[in-house]
Amino acid sequence: MTFPLLTLLAVIMEFISSFISFLVGYYAMKGYRKSSLRGLLLLYWGFTILGVGILLRGFTITYVEIMVGHEGSKQLTALINLAGLIYSTTQVAAYAIFVADYALQSMRATNERNALLGTTVAVGAATFPVYRLFFIPWLELLAICMLSFVTVNAFINWSIKKTSESALVVSGFGLILLSHVFFLLLPLRETLLFVGQAFQLAGFICLVGMLAKVSRTNEQ
Amino acid sequence: MNSEHKEYRSKTRIYADILNSILKQGGKSRPTKILYGANLSYDRLTKHLDQLVELGLVIEDKEDGESVFKLTNKGRDFVLEFVKVEKFAEAFGITI
Repeated sequence: MTFPLLTLLAVIMEFISSFISFLVGYYAMKGYRKSSLRGLLLLYWGFTILGVGILLRGFTITYVEIMVGHEGSKQLTALINLAGLIYSTTQVAAYAIFVADYALQSMRATNERNALLGTTVAVGAATFPVYRLFFIPWLELLAICMLSFVTVNAFINWSIKKTSESALVVSGFGLILLSHVFFLLLPLRETLLFVGQAFQLAGFICLVGMLAKVSRTNEQ
Repeated sequence: MNSEHKEYRSKTRIYADILNSILKQGGKSRPTKILYGANLSYDRLTKHLDQLVELGLVIEDKEDGESVFKLTNKGRDFVLEFVKVEKFAEAFGITI
């Protein structure tokens, strides 16, 4: 089985995604310092928490797959479950902040909009231990609901602004949303983990593309 | 945000509009020209210009007995940086 190579790929994708998340957060903080806009502060916290969560997951995969190997004991499974829960919780917290951010913007524009929150559905456990890091069904569903809200708002923003930067943001959030759909479908096929990760990375690459465009603004 | 009612402008936005107006005039401008460029009343403009002088973003000078406001390097950097922040914020639907 060529799993070590796939694991390495998974870890690399996680670390790159995490780095980009921190980068977007850093840029949001820079903007907040200049403008004192609460929305940018929320973005900073959202992307920083998301970056920490992804980094945690990257380190856990490294520990489990490279240091220990995937012949898991009960303690190891418990550790993975705990790490997965921490990761998923930080992720949901980050998306909740994005939801709050967009809700804040929407309230400014239209006064009222209700955020949708997910329902809990029991789905069978994943077959491979490390998948537990990606697969906590009810948290995934919650993440999907929140990211759907964020993506729809990013889409509305793009339809108003029609700028390439807002297009990259909607693509970024959309691809990250799709990655969670793949993570939710993990019980169907294990390779969906890597498809999901690739989508997640593609989403973050869109966000870094947006940053690159913004940084070049005054050179154009 | 495409609201038809009069939009609220943050202090940062007003500063940026004033500095941008001076920049468009070649880096120095009389208050009357800034008034139109930044769309402010005379009283509010004076108040904000005083604050910008305090922050070191503009300096006040006299030319032919009239006040002229000149953009400092710090002020120029602020405008350029503001454009980037504005683009970044707008990409996420945040209005400055």
